[in-house]
Amino acid sequence: MLPKTERFKQGARETIADPVIQESMEAVYNGFHNNRQSAGAATEGWDDQRDRGRAIKEHTIANLDYYLEMLTDKVDANGGNVFFADDSAAATEYILSLARTRDVKTVIKSKSMVSEEMSLAHEMEAIGIEAVETDLGEYIIQLAGEAPYHIIAPAIHKSQDQVAEMFAETTGTDPGQTPEELTTTARGMLRETFQRADMSVTGVNFAVAESGSIVLVTNEGNGRMCTSIPRVHVAVMGMEKIVPSMQDLAMMLRILIRSATGQRISSYVTMVNGPRRDEEEDGPEEFHLVIVDNGRMRLLADPKLREALYCLRCGACLNACPVYRKVGGHSYGWVYPGPIGAVVSPVLSGLKQGKDLPFASSLCGACREACPVKIDIPNMLLHLRQQIVEGPSEVRSVGWMERLGWRAWRFGNMKSGRFRTGGKMANLMGRPFAQGGMFRRLPPPLSGWTRSRDLPLTASSPFRDRFNKRRTRSEG
Amino acid sequence: MAITGRDTFLGRVRGALGRSPGVPEPDAATHLGLTQDDVRSAADGVRREMADQADSLLDAVADSAATAGWKVRRVGSPEDAADVVTEICIATDATRVLRSDQDVFDAVPVDAALGAKGVTPGIATVGEAGADIPSLKDVAFDSEIGITGVDYAIAETGTVVLHPRQGLSRLVSLAPGRHIAILNKGDVLPSLDELFTLERAGYQDGSLEGSMNLISGPSRTGDIAATIVDGIHGPFEVYLIIVG
Repeated sequence: MLPKTERFKQGARETIADPVIQESMEAVYNGFHNNRQSAGAATEGWDDQRDRGRAIKEHTIANLDYYLEMLTDKVDANGGNVFFADDSAAATEYILSLARTRDVKTVIKSKSMVSEEMSLAHEMEAIGIEAVETDLGEYIIQLAGEAPYHIIAPAIHKSQDQVAEMFAETTGTDPGQTPEELTTTARGMLRETFQRADMSVTGVNFAVAESGSIVLVTNEGNGRMCTSIPRVHVAVMGMEKIVPSMQDLAMMLRILIRSATGQRISSYVTMVNGPRRDEEEDGPEEFHLVIVDNGRMRLLADPKLREALYCLRCGACLNACPVYRKVGGHSYGWVYPGPIGAVVSPVLSGLKQGKDLPFASSLCGACREACPVKIDIPNMLLHLRQQIVEGPSEVRSVGWMERLGWRAWRFGNMKSGRFRTGGKMANLMGRPFAQGGMFRRLPPPLSGWTRSRDLPLTASSPFRDRFNKRRTRSEG
Repeated sequence: MAITGRDTFLGRVRGALGRSPGVPEPDAATHLGLTQDDVRSAADGVRREMADQADSLLDAVADSAATAGWKVRRVGSPEDAADVVTEICIATDATRVLRSDQDVFDAVPVDAALGAKGVTPGIATVGEAGADIPSLKDVAFDSEIGITGVDYAIAETGTVVLHPRQGLSRLVSLAPGRHIAILNKGDVLPSLDELFTLERAGYQDGSLEGSMNLISGPSRTGDIAATIVDGIHGPFEVYLIIVG
């Protein structure tokens, strides 16, 4: 999708001012957060498992070329096809051309964040192919024409009434339906689509290098439908989603699922090892694995950002983050919201445009604490902030006014005389505008400061003068 | 089949990592470095444990499966298992029943038990490979109950493991509104670790099915107003009949 990361501040303001969403979401985030914490507490050696999970990712990413080669050799040997895509356009083109040459009419999609990067469903609809999101949350936001609000719960911001109204418009059902009734309605609509689909596009939670397998984690079973019915299955993955060995999966699944929903395991975990075998009763005739860069190479090349590629996309950092919880998922303006989104979205979709995201954090560390592989998100946010302020000119993004302001500040602080005079001048010139020694509201560009707090007037008698006066008094 | 665009892509990955091609240093973090003999003997150990601990593992999976959302029924004999299947079909008014073509039905007389009540279960197989896939799909979606055996169950998570293959369609455990799985004593693994040890040993010995499904309860969603609802795409009710 096209990034709207530059709208962060505006989006955040709108969400903060929306009392309905503020109130309804708090319980949801707390639910996720508490479930994760109890699941961790109930798991023997939880912290140790997180360390081991991190070690696996660290090793795999440090040798990514080796494991990508192994993975793709095995997919090939299993009878699948592999396409390496430098960017989302190349990945989209490959999948669209598959759909065209296979005479595909209907595509079912299982949740895939990478395909959101590509706006794949939209691109398919544009060339006349029906593309239906089958994760219920994704289905709802597809009807609404919106972006996912949360990594694992894309439509979590929609109230029951909003969903009921949307379904009523689409299918003519009663707009007063309960979640149970709405789910049954969606079941009916989607089962009909599953049956006639001739191609599926899924994401990949893990790819196993040694066997060329891909693993899908779902609760709904749409991942299973997508890998059982259509004659063509396309799996799309970010290049980082690899584990070396099948035996590494056990622990990775444990930490992913517990961190995402607090479950011991999701209702379904599906491992796909290529197209259906000849003697099998059903399953896809073709299997394609699309491995996508789309900016990830920039994360890989920067040793300080590389660990962003350890991310399992569990969403735990979102639920833990005091900023995400207030500003909501859409404010971040691209596919990945929350703390990990504040790192990944600007790097993948444009640091200049997304310059506000790395600043959308109090650096409290709750995200690092929640992360199943202990990604040091605060440290990466600081690194990005530094790049935005001091980095090479193509990424640096500081307004001329701010630069000018800091230059003046520097000039004023270089000599004690300038500092003293500056302080006095600020007091004299500011006094008429201050109330009770405080500026309540300042004009731009300083209005940002006074919007939520006051700025004190510089003291009429600076500390140094008072200190000297007192010393003279006590000595005298 | 085909790999497209790999060389340049891997070149860029190496450039970003500052790494030259080659095998990584062994790292204890991953299991990849285990030799085939290591894995094989670990798998032998797992099979011994499954046999030695069969009773306690069966008790454990009965508990964890119930927690995961299975309706668990324990029976003493294959005949009793067939009676429970019939009971479920009658209680749910199901007449369109589909079963897989697995060995378990040689022992568990489901056809006879259902037949006595006037229900003839369909058998989900296409006969000659690929001959009639559309109609198997139609039958599976039209069926009210799907019955399968269980390749393994997992005590840690309350999971049923199925490898779709000849005689075991991917859809029998997925498309009907209810799924009944029949588990025999001795097929229970302690945890996911043991499952993937066995899978890996099998793979190293040259066996890799097209897919593997881990099923842990009914199809579920929480996507509308964070309310958990069973039965979005797959079965809304799942039964685990434990024999032994």
